[in-house]
Amino acid sequence: MGMNDLQSKTNPLFESIMNNKNVTAKPSSLSVGSFLASSVHDMKNSVSMLIDGLDKTLAAADSENLAVYSELVQMNHEIKRINSNLMQLLTLYKLGEEIYPFDPQSVCVEDFLHSLAAQNSELLKSHGIALEIRADPALCWYFDEDLINGVIGNALNNAMRYTRDCIRLIANKNKDMLEIRVEDNGTGYPAMMLQESVDNKRGIDFQGGGTGLGLYFSAMVARMHGNHGKLGEVMLENGGSLAGGCFVLQLP
Amino acid sequence: MFPNAFSTPTPEIDISGKSVLIIEDYHAMRSIFRDIMRGCGADVRKITMVASGSEAIASLNKSQYDIVLCDYYLGSGRNGQQVLAEARIRGLITLDCIWIMVSADKTADTVMGAAEHQPDAYLLKPIAEASLSLRLAKIIKKKQVVKDVFQAMEQLDYPKAISLCDERMAADKTHVTDLLRTKCDLLLKSGELERAKELLEKILLERDFPWAKVCLAKILFKNKAFEAAKTLLEKTIAVSPSFLEAHDLLAEMLQAMGDLEGANSVLEQAVKLSPNSVNRQKILGEVSIKMGRLEEAERAFQKCVSLGENSILKSEGVYLSLAKVYSAKENPDEALKVLGKLNKSFDMDAIRLKVKAVEGMIYHESGNNKKAKLIAEELGECLGKDDVDHDSERSLEMARLFMVTGNTKSAITLLRCEVKNNPESKVLLDEVNEIFVAAGMGEEGAKLVEVSRQEAMEMMNRGVLLVSKKQYKEAIDAMRSAHKAMPTNVRVLLNLAYVLIAYLQKNTSEPELVKEARDSLLAANTRSPGESRFVRLMGALNKLSPPV
Repeated sequence: MGMNDLQSKTNPLFESIMNNKNVTAKPSSLSVGSFLASSVHDMKNSVSMLIDGLDKTLAAADSENLAVYSELVQMNHEIKRINSNLMQLLTLYKLGEEIYPFDPQSVCVEDFLHSLAAQNSELLKSHGIALEIRADPALCWYFDEDLINGVIGNALNNAMRYTRDCIRLIANKNKDMLEIRVEDNGTGYPAMMLQESVDNKRGIDFQGGGTGLGLYFSAMVARMHGNHGKLGEVMLENGGSLAGGCFVLQLP
Repeated sequence: MFPNAFSTPTPEIDISGKSVLIIEDYHAMRSIFRDIMRGCGADVRKITMVASGSEAIASLNKSQYDIVLCDYYLGSGRNGQQVLAEARIRGLITLDCIWIMVSADKTADTVMGAAEHQPDAYLLKPIAEASLSLRLAKIIKKKQVVKDVFQAMEQLDYPKAISLCDERMAADKTHVTDLLRTKCDLLLKSGELERAKELLEKILLERDFPWAKVCLAKILFKNKAFEAAKTLLEKTIAVSPSFLEAHDLLAEMLQAMGDLEGANSVLEQAVKLSPNSVNRQKILGEVSIKMGRLEEAERAFQKCVSLGENSILKSEGVYLSLAKVYSAKENPDEALKVLGKLNKSFDMDAIRLKVKAVEGMIYHESGNNKKAKLIAEELGECLGKDDVDHDSERSLEMARLFMVTGNTKSAITLLRCEVKNNPESKVLLDEVNEIFVAAGMGEEGAKLVEVSRQEAMEMMNRGVLLVSKKQYKEAIDAMRSAHKAMPTNVRVLLNLAYVLIAYLQKNTSEPELVKEARDSLLAANTRSPGESRFVRLMGALNKLSPPV
């Protein structure tokens, strides 16, 4: 069976499109939106397979064959970027349609950061970047693990591009808020970005690719987390313990 | 000083002795899952891989698995959630079994299915070995912490489960939230509303958990504080629009308040979030019928039928409802076709009379009175043969048909019996009254209902009265005959257990009487879970004779 047959059959959005009786000659924005979303879902399936395959190949790769190895690592990195972009798009679509299953749970923050580090360990190793995790093992917080994984994963990826050779993931409790910091020892954010981070609304050149999707997604996810009227926040700073760029997420 | 991420501490779990079942329809993905499990330390010889829901059920039927890794979308046939529900309901997995559901994409259906059939974790593809390993370690630890609690719950020993929760919470800070939630649930199940309320208010001071707000709303609902509960639920939904339990409870409450329009719009929103819950679609269909919206009802019940096809939770009720909708739409052929479908997937012996009654009504509504009467006569001959279990729905369907075909006497006998079995159920009394009204016997019916209800109340209390006069033997006899007359009356079941326990407390233990009391209590709890009297009586009985 071809992969496409399989995916379209098992795609939950496919059914809702087929049941949509308002199909007219001219595509409405709703049906285009649904097609985009179902295609993204479809692509995510394929991308997942590619990631799994590449991870498997990498793990078994002959480290003597270094040229191929580092190319594979780079491919792995790019495909993970695609995956995280797709995940963010799909999430934003669902949030817009009010069908995202926001699902906060009690999470041990240190475990969470270690799991994130492990997802990126091959890439960090190949770039020769040291990653440190500083978190109190007893610190537990209440958040949607998949969404925050997307936010911090995105910031970590970003830091990997701009750091010199070191990144720190730091978590602590700061005045009733959980603060997760992604700090690097690169040259820091340009002044314009810091200013725009304060303005916080517009799309900015955060991903290097220039879509602004990552920061927009992060700010949106942060604000979804609320408690007693307080909302989560995302900030960019320069300085921190490594005197480079800092991505800061605060959750109530 | 700080550990480097590359040396991520591998969690101290050893799963080499554990048996693993991988359920995934796509071949390439199956071997990826197997490699990941091997990477986590599983022994390849103990890994079984299957490609479909039915193969999974067959494997689970044959052997016990410690870990199940299951894809949510399994192509045609059962989905992962349906496999899990079936495995739980048929007892194919134990409390120790770790069930991990995997999907490419997060939807309300995949992560917020029926609360009682939640897996231990949901993971998004692609799953990294390190994440899975950490997750397995966490689940194993959590299972150790809550195992006794769930065991006590399975034995319906709620007081013990509650005290175990307290004990664990004091010792284990990581699982406090889970344990608090379980404890609230247990307090509700035991009918200890005040204690539950106090605890919930304390929890909510710390954090706005949507589950805690819904729990609190449940208590307000039980105390008939409808407006307060409604406000609380509406606020909860505004902050957490994807928390489905809040939608479901609000819809239930609006129905109880008579606001069908409101209930309908809440359900529409919930169905948009999670279209694949049979129960929710069924409730939506019922509300639509009450509002006379036959098109919507048809759509909802059709969805129920198609969702149920692969599910162990399928019920004949939605087929009957769908058939009735077609009949109301003056399409008897389609209605009969739906009934015909029941043949394929149900044990017809158990539901034959009920289906026949609905069939008779379809003929009656389409003007074929001759055929309706024939069926009614056939059913009339089966009356009084009490070789089948009591079934309220069946009795009501039969009574409806008897009424319209002129056999008023049998209809009244059936309806009186229903009233006596459920004298405190407003829903049922309303339905019975409606049948009388439809037959043009509104006034007479209301009187009959009231008389039967009082007769039942009198019989229900006779045993308790005799116990207060210390006439234990007579009390037991009275409650036994009440039980015979009203086999599914919950209060009778509880009172029978009460008089038996009162007798046992004064006399030497007799195993048959202990069994009779325990059976009565369990039957009462099945019909009406969460009665505080059930918990108290079960506690007293367990003191006399601990459960085996």
